Order: sequence, then structure tokens, then C-alpha cells
Amino acid sequence: MDLENTKAQMRKGILEYCILSILSRSSCYASDIIKELKDAKVIVVEGTLYPLLTRQKNAGLLSYRWEESPQGPPRKYYELTKEGKEYLADLDESWNELVESVNMIRTR
Amino acid sequence: MKITLSVNLGGYSFNIDEDAYSELKRYLKNLEIHFAGEESSSEILSDIESRMAELFRTKLTTYKQVITIEDVNNAISVLGTPEDISNDEGTSARDKFSSPGYHRMYRDPDHRMIGGVCAGMAAYWNMDIWIVRMIFVGVTILGGLGLLVYLILYIVLPEAKTTTQKIEMKGEPVNINNIKDSVKKEFDTVRKNMNL
Repeated sequence: MDLENTKAQMRKGILEYCILSILSRSSCYASDIIKELKDAKVIVVEGTLYPLLTRQKNAGLLSYRWEESPQGPPRKYYELTKEGKEYLADLDESWNELVESVNMIRTR
Repeated sequence: MKITLSVNLGGYSFNIDEDAYSELKRYLKNLEIHFAGEESSSEILSDIESRMAELFRTKLTTYKQVITIEDVNNAISVLGTPEDISNDEGTSARDKFSSPGYHRMYRDPDHRMIGGVCAGMAAYWNMDIWIVRMIFVGVTILGGLGLLVYLILYIVLPEAKTTTQKIEMKGEPVNINNIKDSVKKEFDTVRKNMNL
């Protein structure tokens, strides 16, 4: 059995959940999201974020607007859409159930 | 002394060493290939380029005006190679690089008696080689056409030379694991034959 593969399977999906969670607290730039994810050790490299952000945007969960920056070219400022908020609420519930189930088994 | 180039990365203009440029170009190309299947791949790449430009700008000062290969390598380690990204996302490389199970008939040079035609057909249908040979011989004795058919097949069917072709011959999906197993099997066969 491949330990790395199993661990990777556990992490899959958590990243998307975390992105939506971060944005639910406040809208922000990609670099802010990256910082939080790195601090929480959810990602190791920044490149992981961009395809996910784009996918979620294409799925209608996020939207962005261009914000002018004094130091350079405009940057994307992301926020959750209404669908995104609903999707997140669903994931929150799912996550809670998952944690409960696993804890039940672990602490028996 | 090195030659520098002037590049536009994410809307910023940079002077970059020639070797740094090659490395950067290679990295961006690899990313492009990695994201080729994604909808909006160009948007993803442009986001990554912008982020790279941001990282580079923090390196430049009054005294340092050129992006060096160290800067590029540093940025790559921060942004991640396609493999790093796959690991983070939880998809392993083997998921991404598997080609569908093309099932093609080849001549099998590893199990041939004459031309590998019967062996190849046996591999395609997952049959025992001798049964196929018997059928061929039977048809030849009865009608004589078998030899002609054999010759035609010999000309028409390509020989399975590469590992990928040998896997396709059996109709299994071509991915890292299967290739690894195939090569291992061949290696073991050679070793056995040489009594090592």
C-alpha cells in the first residue's frame, strides 16, 4: 500500500474547502490566500492555488475584480458568490460529519 | 560577463541573464504542458507569471538590476514544479500521465518462432500462442492460404519494439506503473537467460 498516495487522497478536497473558508471571512487577494494556506501548512508550493482558484471561478463559486495597485499592474481581488457561500455551508456540514465519524472510530 | 535579455513577465519589464531566461522559459513551458488539459489554462499561466514577476521585483534593488538564475530557481521553488503542484493537490503523477488502453495488434518479437505474427495475435486476444499457431498450420494444410495470410500479416503488422507498444499489444493502459512492471519483467527474463 502506498502511504504517500493515501495521504494525498486525504488532502484532496481539503484545499478547495480551505480556499472557500478563507474567502468567507473576507474577500482578498490571491497572495493573502496563499499566505494563510502556507501558514496552516495546507499547501507547500504557491502554484497549487492558481488552477484551483480558476476552477472555482469557472464553477461560479468565486468572482474577482481588478484592483489597482500603487506598486504595479492591477491585481485580482476575490470574493465568494452566493453559490459559493451555499457550497461552503454544504462542505462545512460534510466536514463536521466526517470529523465526527472518524473520531467515533478512533476513540472507541 | 553574461548576455542579458529584456523580458515582459506579467506586465513588468525585467533584465534577465541569458541562462536564467532559458531556465525560466523551460519552467513556464513545463507548466503549460501540465495545465494543458485545464479549461482557462492561459488564465492560470498568466496568474502564475504575474506572481513570478511579483517575486522578482522583491529581488531587485538599486545595486542589483538583473534577474539571475538563482532568482529563477528560487521563484520556481516557491511556485512549485508540476510535480510539486500535483503532490499538493493530491493527484499523483501516475493519474495524470496514463494514456487510454489502446489495443492494437503488433508482431511480438519476444515470443516469436518465425516472424512473431502468431505471438502478436495471441497477445491481442490473450490466447495461448501455440493454439494460434495450430490454427494457422491447420488452415495452411487445409487450404494453403495460411502462408499467404501469414506473409500479408507479417508485412502489415508493425513490430512491437517499445515498451509502450508491448503494453498496447495486450490492451493494458499505458501508465508509469505498467511501464515499470513491463521493464522489470523484461529485465528479469534477460537475467534468467543469462543465469545471473
